[in-house]
Amino acid sequence: MKAKHFIIPSLVAAGFGSHDPAQASFIRAAITGGGDLESGGLLRLFKFDHAVTLANHSSHSSHSSHASHSSGYSGGGHYSHTSHRSSTGGYDSYAPDPVYVPAPTPPPAPPPRQPQPLIPQTDRASPPPGDGLPSLSGRSARFAAIVRRVQIALLARDLYHGKIDGIVGPALRGALRAFQKSKNLSVTRTITPETLDALMVSSD
Amino acid sequence: MIPLSLPVVSDAEVPFVTRLRTATTSGGDAHDAVLIDDDATGASFAATGGLFAVDGVPASELDGDVVLVQPRSGRLERLLRAGSPHNTLLVTERCDQLCVMCSQPPKKTHDDRFDLLEQACLLAEPDSLIGISGGEPTLYKDRLLTMIERVLTERADIEFHVLTNAQHFEETDIVRLRNPLYRRVSWGIPLYSVCTQLHDHIVGKEGALDRLLASFAVLIAAGARIELRTVLLTSNVDELPTLARYISAKLRFIEVWSLMQLENTGFAKRRWRDLKYDHHNRFKPIADALDIMSLHGVAAQLFNFPRCSVPEPYRRFAIASISDWKRKYAPACAECRERSQCTGFFEWHPADEAEAEVMPL
Repeated sequence: MKAKHFIIPSLVAAGFGSHDPAQASFIRAAITGGGDLESGGLLRLFKFDHAVTLANHSSHSSHSSHASHSSGYSGGGHYSHTSHRSSTGGYDSYAPDPVYVPAPTPPPAPPPRQPQPLIPQTDRASPPPGDGLPSLSGRSARFAAIVRRVQIALLARDLYHGKIDGIVGPALRGALRAFQKSKNLSVTRTITPETLDALMVSSD
Repeated sequence: MIPLSLPVVSDAEVPFVTRLRTATTSGGDAHDAVLIDDDATGASFAATGGLFAVDGVPASELDGDVVLVQPRSGRLERLLRAGSPHNTLLVTERCDQLCVMCSQPPKKTHDDRFDLLEQACLLAEPDSLIGISGGEPTLYKDRLLTMIERVLTERADIEFHVLTNAQHFEETDIVRLRNPLYRRVSWGIPLYSVCTQLHDHIVGKEGALDRLLASFAVLIAAGARIELRTVLLTSNVDELPTLARYISAKLRFIEVWSLMQLENTGFAKRRWRDLKYDHHNRFKPIADALDIMSLHGVAAQLFNFPRCSVPEPYRRFAIASISDWKRKYAPACAECRERSQCTGFFEWHPADEAEAEVMPL
């Protein structure tokens, strides 16, 4: 399991994180694979990485740069609810190890480079709202956490392109509708048990 | 007090009814809401209607509850609590009477929820007795009877008890109410006095007693099952023996007469001193009324009378009538031998009164 955590930093080291538009679109195609999760080549690699879960992370905002990074590529769904709940440690282990940060050549060492997004910023979800917002009450927090998981899962399927904000807005309803239709589920535009199952973000 | 309404957040666009399942037992069906997660503040579920997260009650206490999720108002109503014998559905808040001691003062607007309530009834636990209340349910008589008939047709194990002022039964209803399905329906009907002026004054409607008696004629012709209810007030307590004689002579077809002590809520709260008859001081009118009923072989019972407040010979009439969710006991009740059979006090009963009244048996 440990080795898998190195995949991302390795990719970054290999230059995948650069801003080359051609490369970015290649990666994007590889991830989304025509809307079907299983045909996304890169995603197949990344889906082993479920020690990490983004949506439910309570101190999300404090990691916003990682969070935004992560949400771009690990949206393939959470295969185990249990690991999701206990994911805090796993998330933290995601911080890029300095070993993998390309040491830019000569003297005045620039600050360590943060991993760059794999997908052009415009196509990606924004990070969750930063600090300064009142903390949510129990039900709102729990509700938003689940909605974020759904948003990420739908984002990975290229059906949702809005913010990962835990809010059920028109874009998410549209994405739910499209997903439910594509999977022959009851089209409710709401988050139902069978939708969670099909997105693999449900419990149990 | 058991909360019946909880704050909820949901992505649903319309209200929906579902049954909460927190255990991962098999046998759940499409009507069930699946537990997604929970913590100290509450639980989150997904149902066919949508995702919802509720606060205030641990998941374990919600298992099996049939609930109504109302996304707009952000409330979840526990319509049928699992394991409770006291589930009552409120079908309207409108009423055409305005009783001086009304515990649930009416509102002018009506929100038609019959279809949702019907869905809830169909999800009820086996052998449920479901109460129907208001407002005045028979203001929407056709909707009400249709709901009752549909549920009873679908579920042969369910019974209903409907609280109604019986101001709206017509001769044309007789045929409908003769349907054998109505053997599983009882009607709780208030009658406060056989003195027209007094009854009409108490219910706040002129002509109410006459109209009520006309409805009794319909109900007797239909073979309806009736529970008569009389709330004890300072104004009608001395009329009780007269009322008992009337009932035992002319309304003998009733199943039971319930004499009810006042509930300190709604209008009664601010009129408590004027309305409340303290039966500790003088039980005689009640005893006389009960004697008349016994003598004539018509069943009677006392509602909301703590057992220690009733003289021993009449204690057998005092049943545990107060619903579980709004029942409390005074600290001194802890040592009482009859506590398990006792009605206790309403949650909102003045604590000092309760404490002063209790004499553990």
